[in-house]
Amino acid sequence: MLKYIARRVLQVIPVFIGVTLVLFLLQAVIPGDPVKMITGERAMSPALRLQIMKANNLDKPIPVQYVIYVNKLLHGDLGTSYQRGRAVRDMLGEKYPYTVKLAFAAIIIEIIVGIAAGIISAVKRYSFLDVLVTLSTSVLVSVPVFWLGMLLQVFFGILLKQWSGGQIYMPISGAGGLSTDFPDWVYLVLPAITLASVSTAYAARIMRSQLLEIMGADYIRTARAKGLTSQAVIWRHALKNALIPVVTFIGLDLGAMLSGAILTETVYNYPGIGLEIYLAIGRRDWPVVMGGVVLVVVVVMVINLIVDVSYAFLDPRIRYGGAAE
Amino acid sequence: MTMLLEVDDLRMYFHTRDGIVKAVDGVSFTLDRGQTLGVVGESGSGKSVTAMTIMQLIPMPPGKVESGRVLFKGADMLEMSEDQVRKLRGNRIAMIFQDPMTSLNPVYRIGQQIGESLRLHKGMDRKAAAARAVELLTLVGIPHSDERTKDYPHQFSGGMRQRAMIAMALACDPDILIADEPTTALDVTIQAQIIELMTELQKRTGSAIIMITHDLGVVADIADKVLVMYAGKPVEYGVKDDVYYRPLHPYTWGLLDSLPRHDVNEKTALCPIQGQPPSLINVPSGCAFHPRCPYATSKCRSEVPALRDIGGEHFAACHYAGDPGFERGVIECAGVGA
Repeated sequence: MLKYIARRVLQVIPVFIGVTLVLFLLQAVIPGDPVKMITGERAMSPALRLQIMKANNLDKPIPVQYVIYVNKLLHGDLGTSYQRGRAVRDMLGEKYPYTVKLAFAAIIIEIIVGIAAGIISAVKRYSFLDVLVTLSTSVLVSVPVFWLGMLLQVFFGILLKQWSGGQIYMPISGAGGLSTDFPDWVYLVLPAITLASVSTAYAARIMRSQLLEIMGADYIRTARAKGLTSQAVIWRHALKNALIPVVTFIGLDLGAMLSGAILTETVYNYPGIGLEIYLAIGRRDWPVVMGGVVLVVVVVMVINLIVDVSYAFLDPRIRYGGAAE
Repeated sequence: MTMLLEVDDLRMYFHTRDGIVKAVDGVSFTLDRGQTLGVVGESGSGKSVTAMTIMQLIPMPPGKVESGRVLFKGADMLEMSEDQVRKLRGNRIAMIFQDPMTSLNPVYRIGQQIGESLRLHKGMDRKAAAARAVELLTLVGIPHSDERTKDYPHQFSGGMRQRAMIAMALACDPDILIADEPTTALDVTIQAQIIELMTELQKRTGSAIIMITHDLGVVADIADKVLVMYAGKPVEYGVKDDVYYRPLHPYTWGLLDSLPRHDVNEKTALCPIQGQPPSLINVPSGCAFHPRCPYATSKCRSEVPALRDIGGEHFAACHYAGDPGFERGVIECAGVGA
């Protein structure tokens, strides 16, 4: 097992090089003068310009710049924002907790609602509830996230407020912060629902189809032949098997959510890392974009590793040993 | 004393979109303590569905018991509540299945799966059940059973898994063990071992066995009585020697003729029954076997033969069974591999 984990950690190296290299080349190719990003649109002497370029290593050839960047990165220095003049590490460090909060809120919704809906739908197959789950999940997977976010904003933020005479409504922007209208967690509700919507629908569908498939398995017949109650058959024998792919899906999804939900965070003006990267791209603030993406890559790879390792605990047929491969 | 198990005119129909499938159509037999009943027939003849109906493991709908009684020690299981049946299942009547590869839950240890019925029916605690599971694995001939109960199914070979299934079925000392083609998925040497194990355990525990198989050789080895099924109906039923040495039904003749024999020249072609078993939605009129029967007459095409006692508790469902002169002839046969 340790050997497997070590091998997986080593795999991070080529991916890391690949991602940083591609990004670095992109920033060199995409039009836009970094000096102007740093100073703003203003006239300046060539001497000042050269000084700024030197300070940011922009006067050196691209490969050299890349090596300098990676070297700094490995020492924990993500560089300085062109626009804000702040350390990227500090900027991301401020924003990332918001993304983590949002991601976990969404994943909790996904686990509870998705798995429960899938189980109900499979156990009560062809019932009204099953039809409801099947239909609503079909709708949810096809609704664009940003549009769903806007609908929720219009309903909970505006219409509800009008109907109730300004009494009942939900915050639809930001994360609270200095505002005292609501406790901070309320600001998470709508973004979390929006972010969780598509994945919850998928989780419910995977859960349903897995459970239905496994209910027809031979070992379920064996369990029933033992005289177990149908509840025991479902909860003890079917569910543990059916959960394996669902756990994978949700785990990978957590990785995706921790990478920052650009659409959700943008619609709700939620100060997470997704919004930060999105804004930085618009400003051509390359150190922020690079730093954000590197952070995301590391998080996703760690989560994927955890998911892979957790397999072995769910499914005894999978044991990562030295003998395999 | 009442019979251990008495199945009387059991009918299990499946109501499907294409029509009614008469999977089990009027099966009757009796089974006494310690006896072995062999149920034979081609694939799709209703052998497994009969067993599953007795165990009430058929999902209903689409299945429906149209008629019949399943008397276990005199009490009709079909009249019992789900809870009462559940208490018999795995406890008094246990079942082992065809494919040991898929019949064990992959995510639980062998010992846990054997212990489960003990905890359920005997009220044992985890520790007692685990200890008993080790004993049971030893009983079915798995070495180092104290280590092996901690294994998962994928760490067992096919033969070992079937042994574990048998251990699981025997956990509560059932009165009846239903074995649904227990050796079909295993290779030949293992098949013999499993059959031997089952007969040996039967001697020790005194449980009755219903052995469902399409292997006439297995039945010849272990059965006291034989039930031959065709298209959901019983066609011949009697003690083993009667059915094997004095078969009455042309279908049984056909089955016996299609067996390789060690006392004839190996160059002699095997003689399979011509044609295919019928679709159970569209069973031929009259005797379901008539399209494949070399002796069929117009009566066979129009009238359904009843299962009747030809003499000495030897039943056959053929209009002509027992008639003087109606005998198993040498059928001209195209043969296979000739």
